[in-house]
Amino acid sequence: MLKYIVNRLLWLPVLLVIISFITFALGVYGPGDPVQQLLGQRSDPETVARIRRELGLDRPLVIQYIDYVRRALRGDLGESITVARGQPVIKLIARGLWVSIQLNAVVIALGVVVGIPLGVLAAVRRNTLLDYLTTAGVVMGISFPTFLTAPILLWLLSYQVRLLPPGGWDGVFSRSVILPALVLGAGPIAVFARQTRANLIEVLDQDYVRTARAKGLPELLVLGRHALRNALIPLITIFGLMLGGLVTGSFITETIFGIPGIGRLGFRAFSARDYPILTALTLLIAVSYTLANLLVDVVYALADPRIRYE
Amino acid sequence: MARLLDVRDLETRFYTQDGIVHAVNGVSFHVDEGETLGIVGESGSGKSVTVLSIMRLIPSPPGKITSGEIIFEGRDLLKIDEEEMREVRGNRMAMIFQDPMTSLNPVLTIEQQITEALELHLGMNHQQARRRAIELLKMVGIPAAEQRIDNYPHQFSGGMRQRVMIAMGLACNPRLLIADEPTTALDVTIQAQIVELVKRLRDEIGMAIIWITHDLSLLAGLADRIIVMYAGQVVESAQTADIYRNPRHPYTIGLLQSIPRLDEKRRERLEPIEGVAPRSH
Repeated sequence: MLKYIVNRLLWLPVLLVIISFITFALGVYGPGDPVQQLLGQRSDPETVARIRRELGLDRPLVIQYIDYVRRALRGDLGESITVARGQPVIKLIARGLWVSIQLNAVVIALGVVVGIPLGVLAAVRRNTLLDYLTTAGVVMGISFPTFLTAPILLWLLSYQVRLLPPGGWDGVFSRSVILPALVLGAGPIAVFARQTRANLIEVLDQDYVRTARAKGLPELLVLGRHALRNALIPLITIFGLMLGGLVTGSFITETIFGIPGIGRLGFRAFSARDYPILTALTLLIAVSYTLANLLVDVVYALADPRIRYE
Repeated sequence: MARLLDVRDLETRFYTQDGIVHAVNGVSFHVDEGETLGIVGESGSGKSVTVLSIMRLIPSPPGKITSGEIIFEGRDLLKIDEEEMREVRGNRMAMIFQDPMTSLNPVLTIEQQITEALELHLGMNHQQARRRAIELLKMVGIPAAEQRIDNYPHQFSGGMRQRVMIAMGLACNPRLLIADEPTTALDVTIQAQIVELVKRLRDEIGMAIIWITHDLSLLAGLADRIIVMYAGQVVESAQTADIYRNPRHPYTIGLLQSIPRLDEKRRERLEPIEGVAPRSH
């Protein structure tokens, strides 16, 4: 097991080199020029050239990349070009990252705490009104995009009823977290509810559940001890993917609600071709998903005794 | 011998989208204390549904016991509530199933799966239950029971798992053990071992057995009486020796003729039973 984990971790640097090079190349050769963005459309070509030289953007791609890697190894991911000129990328990301992690933790918790019990209820009370209502809610939760639900909820709960603040960020234990968490949480709640329902219905049909009933166990014990654990194991994968997404932030929702997270930073960097920020964000997301996948494999082995890694 | 189980006019139906399936149609039989009853019949003849009805483990919906009586130890099991029924299940009456590969929970250890019935029905604490579980595993012939008890089902072979299932079934000293084709999924040598094991345990413990099979030859040395089921009905019921010596119903005769015999001159082909069992709806 330990060998397996180390083995997987050794691949991480290789992955990072490949991803960083591709992102870096896309930044340099892709459409849009950060200096042009910085100075505006009618800028004087000489000034553009001078600033490009100052920033070292006139050098060949490979030289720029090697320089980038050398500095990255010392923990310096460069400076922002347009979004917050001259500020270290690391600092900008760290600030947004903490906000996004808090928000996403609330969202994932919502998915688990609301979604799984809903799915269990729907499975146990199969083909009742409760099941149908859950299914309808799940379909809506999955299919309504955030750019639709965010303005609707904003208009309803903040403008019409004036119950919640329309945006901003006052920390995770404030009322400002409720609206974005609802908007972002609908999807995870729906996914967890649907998967739990489907898995549990399948598991309740298994022979070993009949064996448990044949022992005379009360239905609650049959469900909790014999069925639920088997039904929840496949959810580890979904949970892991969401955990990987913990650091990605949400471009749309964070921008709509004015939340200073990674998503909004990414959106602004993208609009302004601030590729030092974009490259760093891409690396962050790659690391996050790699570690989350590894975590999924480890947790799987702990949860299901049949799985062993050699 | 005292009457342990008396099934009278049992009728079980399944209400499906394609119509009502009459799985069990007025089945009556009895089992005395310590007696072994064989139920034989082909797939779909209603054997399993009959015994699942006795355990009240018919999935409902779509299944429903529509009429009849199941008198067990003097009580009609169809008239008691679910909680009282749970006291009977796994305690006075236990069941082992056809496929040992899927009948054990893959994520729980053998210990967890055997001890839960002991703790529930006999009120044992965990230490007592574990000791008893090890005893049971030794009784059904699991080597190194003290170590194997902490294993998971996937670490056992099919035959060993069926032994574990039997240990689980016998945990609370049931008066009736229902074995629903317990050897069908096993290969022939293991089949013989399991049959021998159950015979030995029956003689030691003295419980009654209902043994379901589609293999009439398997019951010869095992059952005291045999009932033959076809299309949800009992078509013949007799002492084991009489069934082999003097079968009455044409279907029973057909079943007997389809068994290859070692003591006869080898024929070219076995004699099949013509046609398919009728659909029950």
